[in-house]
Formats: sequence, C-alpha cells, structure tokens
Amino acid sequence: MRVDQQPGYILHARPYRETSLLLEVFSRDHGRVGLVARGVRRERSRLPRGVLQPLQPLLFDWIARGELGALVAAEIASAPFALAGDLLFSAMYVNELVSRLCARNDAHPLAFAAYAQCLDRLAADEPAGWTLRRFERELLADLGYALLLDRDAADAALLPEQDYAYDPESGARTWTAGDGRMPRVSGAALLALGADRTPDAAQLAQLRRLMRSVIRHHLDGELNAWTWARPAAPPTSG
Amino acid sequence: MSSSPLLADLVEALRCLPGVGAKTAQRMAFHVLERDRAGARRLAERLAAAVERIGNCTRCRTFSEEPLCALCASSTRERSLLCVVETPVDQLAIEQATGYRGQYFVLLGRISPLDGLGPKELGLDLLAQRLAEGEVQELIVATNPTVEGEATAHMLAQLARAAGVRASRLAHGVPLGGELEFIDRGTLAHAFGGRQVL
Repeated sequence: MRVDQQPGYILHARPYRETSLLLEVFSRDHGRVGLVARGVRRERSRLPRGVLQPLQPLLFDWIARGELGALVAAEIASAPFALAGDLLFSAMYVNELVSRLCARNDAHPLAFAAYAQCLDRLAADEPAGWTLRRFERELLADLGYALLLDRDAADAALLPEQDYAYDPESGARTWTAGDGRMPRVSGAALLALGADRTPDAAQLAQLRRLMRSVIRHHLDGELNAWTWARPAAPPTSG
Repeated sequence: MSSSPLLADLVEALRCLPGVGAKTAQRMAFHVLERDRAGARRLAERLAAAVERIGNCTRCRTFSEEPLCALCASSTRERSLLCVVETPVDQLAIEQATGYRGQYFVLLGRISPLDGLGPKELGLDLLAQRLAEGEVQELIVATNPTVEGEATAHMLAQLARAAGVRASRLAHGVPLGGELEFIDRGTLAHAFGGRQVL
C-alpha cells in the first residue's frame, strides 16, 4: 500500500544498516509508523537528510509492507518548530511519551493535532509545564485512558477545597492517610485540568505528580526522560 | 549448511558486523575456509585481543589500551582547551582535519531518551569533575547539528556555565565550494544568521 503526502513528524531516528535510517514517525492518518529511509546517510542521497529531523513538520510518501514501511519521499510542510535550550528536553519528553504510549499503525488524529499544538505552544514560549500537562491529558484521552476530572469515583462532583487520591483505574476519591502511595491532588487542580484553566504553581506541581503516576500505570514502566538526574539545572521535561 | 553446525554458527556470528547480511556472511565464511585460513586465524586473534584489552580512557572516554589514552597522557597538548565530541570517529575527523592542539572528551553518544542515553551514560559527571579541576579555559562543543546534538550542546553549555568555563560551539554554514542555490534552506538560514564581520 502506498501512502502519499501524509503529514507527520519524526519522533526518533536511528542509524540502520550501513547508510540507512530507521525513522519512528507520528503520522496523522496512520499513527506511529516505522519507516526505513534507505541510503539517506550517503553523501549524495536522493532523500533529504537535512530535513529528516524531529520537530520539523513534514509530508511523507511511503510504501507500507509488513512492520516497516519504505520511505519514498519527504518534504518540508512548514518551518520547523523553533525550540532551543530547555524546551528541547520538553520536546524530547513528548516524543518519548508518544513513542512509548502509542502502538504502531494505530491512528490517533486527535492526539496528532494535540501534538502539533503542544509543540506550537512550546515554540511560542508558553509555560512548558502546563503545556505538557494539557498534551498528556489529550493524548491519554485519545488512547482511551481519559482522566475523570469533574466527578470522583463515586460519581459525586469534585470539591475544589477537598484533597483527593487519584486511582488511574477508577478515578479520584477522598484522600485519607492510608493513600500514601497514590498521588495527592486537590479538587481545584483536577477541575482546572478538566476545564483547561491555568492552575497555580502548587496545583501544577500536583498535576505533574498525578500525570506521572497515571502514565507510569499505563506504561507499566518508567520514561527515560524522567530518570535523568540533570547535572546542572532542574528538569523541565516531566 | 546443516552438514556443519560450526559453519552455521560462524555465518550467524559474522552477521553482527554492520552491513553484513545473511548472504555476505555466508560468502565471508566460505571465503576464509576455502582460501584464507591463516588470515582468519589472525583476525580471530586480533578480535579477541582487541575486545579483551581495549577499554576506555579514564579521562576522556575514548578507546584506549592504557588507563590514559595517548592524547590525554601527552605533555604537548594544551590542557586549557577541551573539545567535546559524540564519538571516537568524530574525534579522529577533527584530529585529521584541523590543527587543534587541545584535548578531547568523548561522550560515546548524545542525549536521547528513546535510546536510553542520559547524562549518566554520557559521562557528564566525569566531565563536570574535569571542569571543576580548573585547568580548562574553553569548552569546545562539537556535537552534531541535529536536534539531539543541540540538546546535548545545551546541557554541556549549562555544565560549563556552572563551572565558570567559556563554552563555544562549532559554526554551521555553507560548505566550502558549495553554491547557495543548492544549499538546503535550514543550513542557509543558519549560515545567514551566523554571518561574520569581514
């Protein structure tokens, strides 16, 4: 099957064989796909090595067969997201998240749109933490793991001043001392995330812990971007 | 092939080399058995010796048989300049192409969460220690101009700043003998942005 002019982003590229690259691509209509860019590392390659980079909106042509497709052409769709410094780590975190959570060849058009919006917001220098939380919310929802953010597990409305323990399987319930291992998060923070209202710094820190625990639950593992103890600066990625 | 399990093993083992598939591995195996057993013996000895004895320099992490590589041990290299590269091959390229007289630090990779490469795997603690010694005046960041290379460069710049060391980055731009018409737009934009006073 041939796919033409498919919008997408490279999540990751690794060397493959002598002169090829193995690309992990997040595409609009086919979800995450593995594509082989043959001979692209040779000096005079037909494929444009310079543009086969993450954070560059591209249009891909490929021939799908079996697990890996063969990249036929790639062209620039628009200017790359201008990210530098710490924002690069945020973008790498997002790429790892998508690679690890999305199964191959499973279309997630809403998550795809949220991904582009997330990179757009990072490039526009909106606060990185809140931008990442919003993307995580959209991604989880499109994958069928939507968080319950207006009602608790017993279907009662969340109270802003109440603290909750959030169980990834069933939702929020009133926090008690015995819930030490669950993330403790205020109703106000959950409601803010649900209503897409900018939370304050304390709420944002709670949401970060909440999301990490929910993602850990669905991944059944850790993301590498989390485990880095950054030597010089505090992490901005997770 | 079923006639000799050893032969099948050999073919399988040869496939660990880059660019060697089933067909090539088979040709190699038959070649050494038919025509060059002495060469094969020498290769086997060299491989075993190399794998056994070549480790990493304790100071710059490049490949070395001694705890200190020749470059780090040399008294003629300037100790105030430290060039950080991704791989030993990059180090060799700079060594051959430039008149650089300083020392190196080899990351053996670049920041890439999806490959499981973080600051620890790249030996950044060792580098921070080296910068803290106070000998290094300038850190020359020679990671590749890719997204991962840029992220790595950013992290190195932070390390340098924390240690009060000046950090510089290799220039990107128009290749020598290139024609502007044919250069990709990204490179041209970089070259334009990084233009220098004549």
